[in-house]
Amino acid sequence: MMQGSISNRIRTLRFMNGEMSQAELGQRIGLTRQTIAAIEAGKYSPSLEAAFRIAQVFNVPLGEVFQWDAKTSPSKAP
Amino acid sequence: MSYREKIAWLSLIAMVATYGPYFKLVGRGPGSWEPLPHLHPLGLFALVSIVRMLILGIGYLYLRLGSPQEERPPLDERDRAIEHRSIHAAYYVLMTGMILVGCFMPFSSTGWAIVNAAIFWIVAAEAVHYTVVVASYRVQAF
Repeated sequence: MMQGSISNRIRTLRFMNGEMSQAELGQRIGLTRQTIAAIEAGKYSPSLEAAFRIAQVFNVPLGEVFQWDAKTSPSKAP
Repeated sequence: MSYREKIAWLSLIAMVATYGPYFKLVGRGPGSWEPLPHLHPLGLFALVSIVRMLILGIGYLYLRLGSPQEERPPLDERDRAIEHRSIHAAYYVLMTGMILVGCFMPFSSTGWAIVNAAIFWIVAAEAVHYTVVVASYRVQAF
């Protein structure tokens, strides 16, 4: 299985959108402030629907909010 | 700490503070091994349950009055995921306990020992439920 982790730019995007608060972002997409904080810190992966909603709030494509950082595993010897 | 985490802590503490001493007491007392109908343990269980309800009631009231409406939002997807995970873990504890109590204990025990064992596994499942909730919120918090 491919290994990797999800990173995000929510903090940056909030800053670029007039220092939008976590609570305000959460309110606009139906999540709590704590959930936004957990997503931002990479401790909770949101549902696809929530991810699209976040991107919609910032008016950017999904790929600009969330990125998949693939980890390259060492190739196995034959 | 979120309102839901506080509620989970309250429920966990109320459970440990009441049923902990209860099981310690019935585990020691010879009355718990007497055959049914022996109503002393039932009275003790009722008392413990009432105390738990009181702790929960006062705790809920305190937390509700101390948290404004905006700090008590409806469940979101993370809350539901945590709830789902905790119930899933508690279910296995409950099933294991009920199998032990229902299938094996009748061959070795009688009366209140079986009743208390059943109550113990229900309480254990609930404790696991709240522990997983608390742990999940803690892990995802800063």
